Amino acid sequence: MKQPSKEMWVSAQDLRNDPELLAASHREFPESSIVEELGQEGTMDRLESSRRDFLKFLGFSLGAATVAASCEIPVRKAIPYVIKPDSIVPGVASYYASSFVDGGDFLPILVKTREGRPIKIEGNSISPMTGGGTSARAQASVLSLYDTNRLQSAGKVDDGQVTSMTWDELDKEVKASLNKGGGIRLVSRTVISPSAKAAIAAFAAKYPTAKWVQYDPVSSSALLDAHQMSYGVRAIPSYHFDQAEVIVSFDADFLGTWISPVEYAKGYSKGRKLNNLNSAKMSRHYQVESYMSMTGSNADHRIMVKPSEQGGAIASLYNAIASAKGAVTINAPAINDKAKSALAKVATELLNAEGKSLVITSVNNLAEQVLVAKINALLGNDGTTVTMGDASLQRQGNDKDMTGLISEMKSGSVNTLIVLDGNPAFDQAQGAAFREGMAKVATRISCGGTLDETGALGSHVAPTTHLLESWGDAQPKLDQVYMIQPTISPLFKVRQWEESLLRWSESSDLDITAEQPYYEYVKKQWQTTFFSSQSGAGSFTSFWESTLHDGLLTLGSGSSAGSNSADVTAIASTLTKPSGGDEIQFFESINMGAGQFAGNPWLQEMADPITRCVWGNYLFVPIGWDGGNDYTFFQGMEDGDRVQLDINGVSQTVTIVHQFGLMPGTFAIAVGYGRQTVGKAGRNIGSNVQDFLSMNANGYAANVGLAPTISAKVGRDKEFACVQHHHTMGVTGADPKTGKTINVDEKTVSTLGEGYQGSLVDRSIIFRGNLAALGELEEKIHHKREEFQALNDKSLYPSYDEVYKMGHHWGMHIDLNACTGCSACTVACMAENNVPVVGKKEVFRHHEMSWLRIDRYFYGEMENPSVVYQPMMCQHCDNAPCENVCPVSATNHSSEGLNQMAYNRCIGTRYCANNCPYKVRRFNWLDYTTADLFPANEPRLNGEEIPFGADNLTRMVLNPDVTVRARGVMEKCSFCVQRIQEGKLTAKKEGRALRDGDVKSACMTACPTDAITFGDLNNKDSQLNKDLESPLVYKVLEEVNTRPSVNYRARVLNRDESLES
Amino acid sequence: MHAPVAPVRTSLIEGHKSYHDITEDLCAPTEKAPSLSWIIAFIISIATMSFGLFSLAWTIWFGIGSWNLNRTIGWGYDITNFVWWIGIGHAGTLISAILLLFRQKWRTGVNRAAEAMTIFAVVCAGLFPATHTGRPWFDFFMFPYPNTRGPLWVNFNSPLLWDLFAISTYFTVSLLFWYTGLVPDFATVRDRAVGFRKKLYNVLSFGWTGSAKHWQRWEALCLVLAGLATPLVLSVHTIVSFDFATSVIPGWHTTIFPPYFVAGAIFSGFAMVLTLMIITRKILNLQEYITINHIESMNKVILLTGTIVGVAYLTELFIAWYSGYLYEQFAFFNRAMGIYWWAYFGMMACNVLSPQIFWIKKYRRSIYITFLMSIFVNIGMWFERFVIIATTLARDYLPSSWSYYTPTWVEIGIFIGTLGIFFTLYLLFTRLAPVVAVAEVKHILKSAGDQYIGERAKGTQGSEAIHESAH
Repeated sequence: MKQPSKEMWVSAQDLRNDPELLAASHREFPESSIVEELGQEGTMDRLESSRRDFLKFLGFSLGAATVAASCEIPVRKAIPYVIKPDSIVPGVASYYASSFVDGGDFLPILVKTREGRPIKIEGNSISPMTGGGTSARAQASVLSLYDTNRLQSAGKVDDGQVTSMTWDELDKEVKASLNKGGGIRLVSRTVISPSAKAAIAAFAAKYPTAKWVQYDPVSSSALLDAHQMSYGVRAIPSYHFDQAEVIVSFDADFLGTWISPVEYAKGYSKGRKLNNLNSAKMSRHYQVESYMSMTGSNADHRIMVKPSEQGGAIASLYNAIASAKGAVTINAPAINDKAKSALAKVATELLNAEGKSLVITSVNNLAEQVLVAKINALLGNDGTTVTMGDASLQRQGNDKDMTGLISEMKSGSVNTLIVLDGNPAFDQAQGAAFREGMAKVATRISCGGTLDETGALGSHVAPTTHLLESWGDAQPKLDQVYMIQPTISPLFKVRQWEESLLRWSESSDLDITAEQPYYEYVKKQWQTTFFSSQSGAGSFTSFWESTLHDGLLTLGSGSSAGSNSADVTAIASTLTKPSGGDEIQFFESINMGAGQFAGNPWLQEMADPITRCVWGNYLFVPIGWDGGNDYTFFQGMEDGDRVQLDINGVSQTVTIVHQFGLMPGTFAIAVGYGRQTVGKAGRNIGSNVQDFLSMNANGYAANVGLAPTISAKVGRDKEFACVQHHHTMGVTGADPKTGKTINVDEKTVSTLGEGYQGSLVDRSIIFRGNLAALGELEEKIHHKREEFQALNDKSLYPSYDEVYKMGHHWGMHIDLNACTGCSACTVACMAENNVPVVGKKEVFRHHEMSWLRIDRYFYGEMENPSVVYQPMMCQHCDNAPCENVCPVSATNHSSEGLNQMAYNRCIGTRYCANNCPYKVRRFNWLDYTTADLFPANEPRLNGEEIPFGADNLTRMVLNPDVTVRARGVMEKCSFCVQRIQEGKLTAKKEGRALRDGDVKSACMTACPTDAITFGDLNNKDSQLNKDLESPLVYKVLEEVNTRPSVNYRARVLNRDESLES
Repeated sequence: MHAPVAPVRTSLIEGHKSYHDITEDLCAPTEKAPSLSWIIAFIISIATMSFGLFSLAWTIWFGIGSWNLNRTIGWGYDITNFVWWIGIGHAGTLISAILLLFRQKWRTGVNRAAEAMTIFAVVCAGLFPATHTGRPWFDFFMFPYPNTRGPLWVNFNSPLLWDLFAISTYFTVSLLFWYTGLVPDFATVRDRAVGFRKKLYNVLSFGWTGSAKHWQRWEALCLVLAGLATPLVLSVHTIVSFDFATSVIPGWHTTIFPPYFVAGAIFSGFAMVLTLMIITRKILNLQEYITINHIESMNKVILLTGTIVGVAYLTELFIAWYSGYLYEQFAFFNRAMGIYWWAYFGMMACNVLSPQIFWIKKYRRSIYITFLMSIFVNIGMWFERFVIIATTLARDYLPSSWSYYTPTWVEIGIFIGTLGIFFTLYLLFTRLAPVVAVAEVKHILKSAGDQYIGERAKGTQGSEAIHESAH
């Protein structure tokens, strides 16, 4: 036995010389090696794997290792927080109340941020103005934050080229110019921010020669002047569409673009929904217009006039009402007989709804606006549907100021021009003159966030922050102030224009040593104004924080207006007179505005509600019917043909699209397109028609062109992108042979010979009726559904109804009566679900990826049809035809009734899409998201160098909860499954059952009119189940027995049948 | 010697062939240097095949977006061509299996080439489903292999999966049948060859010695394979038709599809056999083996199946009207009168009207008319599949999604490429194997040779009677 070692020992056994340990110490490895083990007798017999298996495993591992090693895995770097901010929990979204402000357009919003990145806009539901609705533009604004074409620092502009400079250098140069004296002019679109106004005032105080000009690209100057004249207040009254039983709109697209469309749509929809059929009541909406606007498409009656007849139309309505009320009548310009007799009926109806009616117009001419204000006053609507105490401040522009500014510039008396907001060299009626004037101004500073037409003509750019990087406030109405708070630090070296102004004016109120000087300034402003005039909160900090949290502060209403004091006889002579010839109307499109969104691909690819066209503006030309088997097309041309449009020597090539509901002798085209100095996405998209705009005889910006000449076909838009090629479902006309009313579209639907009657309208896609015959509609739906269900109640297949009654079963209800077609939901869906933008050419090839689309069908009289919008997305059928045909089960049914896609499993046979009756499945034809390894197949939106989806800045907008799909994979609406999961997890963490309303799909929250209800069909108390009780509810294509989870409520109009001539 | 055959049967082998003549005639094409016409045809075929493979590579590299399919029309040229090729293959199986079981002797003249055609057609057909997927590198997901993902199985409800099984079975059985038939003939070629060719054919003929046992087993195997292949004639195209028939799309969702597709497949298959055989017999000088009688027999099949197809078209129209189901009515109305009316009328003219010419014996026995007709039928049957697929999808339930489809050059390139593949393989086949089954022709010589039966036979009563009455 070995002597115990005294010097060192490794264990107790060692110390006492344990024989076992000694024996073990002779072996280098305490356990016997695998070789020895295998070498022992009988080991192989005990092993479960044979030598063959071993070789198999060896071969497989080697092969697998080789394959794995040869694949290049991209290296992605992630940097963890050193100190985790309190407010950021990875994987959990934070919402901040803020506002979407775009000139005078305003929307209270919540900004969803993930890991410090704003990725989605929601409506702020506590706002008394909108109640949580949003618009497509607001939804898309988050993408503009990550626009690669944003200016990244201050700069000097030379011949349209920007060379960057530091802000200090810029400030020095600007101040030098300002101090040189001479005229200083600030130009902006409508500013509704009290703090910004304070900043402008501070600037004006410092530089006494400074004057501030506000303008609106689509001007409401006459509307403001009319109220100045009638009530002494230059503001726009609040219109209460919810309280109006009769609504008459002359040309005002109040649901789409006019002043505050989300607010108006909310109110309007309250009067249009049929929730209680026993005492069914709806407002009646007349739209007097020349081309079919989105608002007109929702009207019960459209009265068609030429743009220049609006004056006469308003005057004749006024006269009818005035003579009934004993007021003074005026000389009304002549209008077409049809409109005249219709307006006489409208007048009677308005007189029957005194105090409960509403007349509005967007015609930018003082006389028309004064008359409309007077009509409302005569009808006793002042104080009920039209209120001034909470007047809107959303338009403050003055055309005359702009005209004055331009002549000042032209005369050379302006030394420094600072364009704070807007693109006046492009987006307003006097763009050409403005450009001319700018050439005579020494220092021309543009604060635009991207280089636009105005900036390119300037001498300096002082790029402002994006809204989501800004501090600020907004007062859209006298009684409401909203906050704007940043949700991300400025991505570039940019500075808010308010701060720039304060710095240039060296205001003592701006603490330039502060981390966020303008934030401190806004706070200070609030402390001195809103805080001091309120009494609720004790300390400013608590007042500020609660306001910031809610995003808004409600103030007391101002004084209501006095009586209408306008003298209508004085202005009667300035009414617009009918031109007698052809006319063209220039209008603002739902998505593009006056062109400020041209660089936003989401909005470019949003289908126009009426034309369903994308990526461009199109000249509306009339479509007719030859009485036989064919439509007649304008000059025999097809949609997508290009023509030369000439007005007064200005000419432009435009693409045509045939439109229903166009007043004969009228054409129409949207403004804001064809921009040249803009981010890559918008460059040269559509045709620039700005130079056709002009001022009318009374000095107001006009949106009408007289005596246009339209050439014969000069070419063709080879990528004419329209997502819907068949537009109608039962437009009627009189058969010239029999005199009977027939469906024209059904007669013309076939290429050879004539189609047969009923081939479209008898499809169970749209159910529609009239309020007066609601019972008929109810009965029809009931009868049809009974028949469909009887067809399908016998089945060889096992029923899974029991399973569907367990747990959750997600479903949806869409009220076609509330849907106005505004398309906010479609953009919201793109933002929420990382739906790729594919570009004009791909849309032309019908490769658009929209998960949610809004089908638009014309029906009714051929010359002046009505419209129904049908939001269409995956119907999540319980008998889904797509599921059983997928060979690899990539699309399957969840236990909660969701039709789900396993993208990784999908091999892309497209069988599911073929077999989908609703055609809602979208295939990744190319690599739209740059998700695969082939760089060759990434389409460009508009010839940009880096594909839109590949840019790292743009990709910051992606929702991390939703997979980005690779090419070759099918995708479709998921009912926002990520939101469902989030809702369920939250409920689980809180230890409670999921409540109704915990989960809302992105389309539902985006909708300004609450047309969409998402919920759990198995929750008996859910709003969804309440909505489904209506006898007007139906399912699309119920007879196919797909058992969709999406339900639609029939479209009902409130037409006065006697009005049809 | 009097053959125990009814004298009404006409001869199937002409020219007073001896067994040796048959060997010489039929093996000759594999032994001689290729003719100029063969070389030119081969160069053209290789060129078109290369273009097709280039188009295919283009598709895989850029994605299905290089095709003009769209959100409404998910299948176009790809599946049209797939069904067309599968249909063409059917004649081979019918001739080799069903006609063997029915002991139709005339099949021996054409069965070899028809079977070869089947295999090449299935190769072309299989290309389409394999490459029309968005991510063809994951096509193996279609196979029900054991895996660690759950395990995750394929969807046995999907007609596409049935297709996979049907076509792979079809290909395997057809290949085996064809090869089995070739074994004794390869041995014949081997016995005449020297050097490398002898070695090659020795391997190919599996050491065939021609012993009685070999013959016995060979015949038994042929019969078994015929028995296996017979249901396939019916099942394969039935299952292909299920791709459409089990869907919910009006115009696809039709119970008539299985018989209608099978008849159509045989129809188009025989047309393609005729196209090929009329050229082959001329170029390889086989007019005495593939006679006018063969052509007439096949024309009769074309007349029958063409008429069946015609009845099916009319039945579809009738049922659409009779169903009272709007969508169905519109779908068929649209086929005839809608945007793709030209495809429908092309189909009707080529498939239903033109074969009626074969009621007249003179035309049935005319080489030129038959050749022209076979081309017509091929075109007509292509139109039929295009009508079913593209026209139906272009105008389905929701008018908002209606669309139109025209192929891109890539899609046309792949289609032309498959023609190239088909003819390349066929041309190689004519050089490597006897295009007429040597052993089987010899087998029927004494019952179908013109020295034994028919009007030119020596010493038969029947022919004498005819001879006398002619005087």
